[in-house]
Amino acid sequence: MRLTALRNAVAHQPLRHLIAAALVAAAGWGILAATRRGVRFVDGFPAIGTIADAVLQRSLEGLFAVLMLGVAFSVLTGAIATLYASHDLPLLLGLPLPPERVFALKTAELFAQGALVPALLTAPALIGLGLERSAPAMYYPAAALALIALYALPVALGAALALGLMRIAPAGRVQELATAANVVLAAGLVVGLRALRPERLSAATPEQFEAFLVGFARLEVGWAPPAWASQATWAALDGRLSAGLVVLAATALASLFVVSRMAAWAYRVGWIRALDTVRARRDPTSRPAAAWERPLARLGPVGAVWIKDLRSVARDPTQWSQLLVLVALAAVYLLSTGSLEVEGQRFRDALGTLNLAFLAFLMIGIGVRVAFPLVSLEGEGWWMVRTGPLPVRQLVAAKLAQALPPMLALGVGIGAGAALSMDLSPALAAASPWAGAAAALVASGLGVGLGAAWPRFDAASPNEVPLSPGGLAYMGTGLAWALGQTAILAWPAWQVLGGGSVGGVDAAAVWATPGGRWAIGLALAWTAAFTIVPLLLGTARLARWEPGD
Amino acid sequence: MIEVRGLVKRYGRLTAVDGVDLDARPGEVLALLGPNGAGKSTTIKIATGLIRPSAGHVRVAGFDVAREPVAAKAALGYVPDRPYLYPKLTGRELLRFLGRLRGVSGAEARAEAWLSRFGLLEVQNERIEAYSHGMRQKLTFCAALLHDPEVLVIDEPMVGLDPRAALEVRRLMRERAEAGRTVLLTTHQIDVAQETADRVVLMDRGRVAAQGTLSELRQRVGSADARLESIFLTLTEEQAATHDPPPSHDRPSTP
Repeated sequence: MRLTALRNAVAHQPLRHLIAAALVAAAGWGILAATRRGVRFVDGFPAIGTIADAVLQRSLEGLFAVLMLGVAFSVLTGAIATLYASHDLPLLLGLPLPPERVFALKTAELFAQGALVPALLTAPALIGLGLERSAPAMYYPAAALALIALYALPVALGAALALGLMRIAPAGRVQELATAANVVLAAGLVVGLRALRPERLSAATPEQFEAFLVGFARLEVGWAPPAWASQATWAALDGRLSAGLVVLAATALASLFVVSRMAAWAYRVGWIRALDTVRARRDPTSRPAAAWERPLARLGPVGAVWIKDLRSVARDPTQWSQLLVLVALAAVYLLSTGSLEVEGQRFRDALGTLNLAFLAFLMIGIGVRVAFPLVSLEGEGWWMVRTGPLPVRQLVAAKLAQALPPMLALGVGIGAGAALSMDLSPALAAASPWAGAAAALVASGLGVGLGAAWPRFDAASPNEVPLSPGGLAYMGTGLAWALGQTAILAWPAWQVLGGGSVGGVDAAAVWATPGGRWAIGLALAWTAAFTIVPLLLGTARLARWEPGD
Repeated sequence: MIEVRGLVKRYGRLTAVDGVDLDARPGEVLALLGPNGAGKSTTIKIATGLIRPSAGHVRVAGFDVAREPVAAKAALGYVPDRPYLYPKLTGRELLRFLGRLRGVSGAEARAEAWLSRFGLLEVQNERIEAYSHGMRQKLTFCAALLHDPEVLVIDEPMVGLDPRAALEVRRLMRERAEAGRTVLLTTHQIDVAQETADRVVLMDRGRVAAQGTLSELRQRVGSADARLESIFLTLTEEQAATHDPPPSHDRPSTP
């Protein structure tokens, strides 16, 4: 049934699937080539010959561990959706089949969903390793088995956690809690990894780098599943079948079997309860509108939309947890600018001038999460706004008014923070928040505008909204603006560095020259065009939008 | 009132609505009756501004829905066949939102009255996601009636309603008509049309097969005591014989 559905999907949109397959093949080829190059680099590094294998083995364990964590994070929501809330579950359970078989099928489906992408990412690396080390033929099936067995473990763990969450989460809130937990964990992981500042390695001397590799080679954690998979892979490189592989495969199979039986049992005895409908309390008290609503309500329909959206976002963890991602992104950016070690005010200022443009790239990335989905978040309630006497331009204005405050706070905050952490001269430090504000303006206008032009009212969550031609158009147009902004601001940076006719002066003096004023004017016009035109386009397209577009 | 003239809606090569003309007058309940895929919901969606016509026009309270959408929609209340509402708002908050959106004076008191009439006061402070299908449908009626619209458009009014609520909706439609308002409803339930409508428009395959009062339709089939069901079958079979092969199909309905 699943294969038929896949075949139908491919037949319905062959080009889209062909492009996706080509992208996956290109990524696989890139990973394969990078792995072969990495293995050659480690093998050829001076005075490392004796520990090269250990370094590679630890690297493989690291890759396995990171992707295993990725599977563990992503599988929780998938487990709830597949094992307990999938639409075909009532149909399957209504058939004359033992529930154990139904849940075994659903567990297999969950495994395929959770492990497919990490396995596709890891397989080229293992093939590259095998090719570079002239592995025997048995290496490839053994490595594939290790890979599949390894990713089965987080799937089983996620399914077990989902079962627990199904029991303890408040009724009707389990998906939201799982999504919020995933987002928080992922954001924490990104900030944590960035805080390690891996770029310091590029500045290390050969001796320091060698010392790092020796220490890294000793980081052996024999009891962890990634180490089992790595040992099994390594033994297969020598043509041996490791006992670790058997243990890993047996553990994986047993774990999947146990969780599928647990799910079947929990469903049968009604142990799960978090999918129940939220209990409606009987509270007939008619309360007035909250005090904070009243000033917004004076804005008329725009204020009404704003109040409605604020309430909806605050009550939906899948939406407010996106704000945590933004904070994580801002932290990563500030950590990165803070770790730059540049000698001399002139060089810092040159870098600071380009930072004004880099901010643009960052804010465009943030806008795809904050501004772009706003119109689509009307969701299936869109008909209420559509059949009401609200001109589309007012709806778009309301959405823009929602996007701007958080985007401006982030843009100005990051701009000011980066200026402080980079120790820029006063003129640049003053310009940096303004550049952040301009980037916020474009990201908001472009996001709301193109989000209105290509809405997705059927998206299940804000994350899904940008996965559309409109999302691609936003990213493409946003990057075009950021590149243009970088090109415009490159001229003052070049002058500060000593190039050009007014070379060698400080940043403030460069902005005061006719060329500097032209750069400011051009940057403002460029920004205004990329803010206003998408809003006009979005308003016109949304007014003509209908289901099926 | 609603005036529909030469209405056509095409989806590529498929014609969902094919030259429909009809009028829903003040003080009457007009029922669009027809099987699945007859083009009833598509006609209604064009009348409410949810989709655009390929040709022809719809006027609501004298305003062209495509050219003067804001004025037309101000006079309109709409109850769709599937009650998708904002799940994170409470019932009361939803009505407050719509009151502000439409600039309804005295919206709080009106909301209270409609919630009370549909028996939703007890759950007014609960989020809509906790409501049953029937409760959502009732809340949709409250939302559509909050601004006392000149024209009420209802797509399949009885879906998901319990017998008491269904009776209430029947009464409500008659009350609206008696107060001089216009009610346009679609249904494939012949008894609903027979009991509530002043006039019936029979639709089949995107076209109007017949329209008129029950007695006018009886005259047309030549049977003074024919039930609407048999009238419908006779007239749609006549239309099928006239237009062969079938000219149109409806799209899956969308809110």
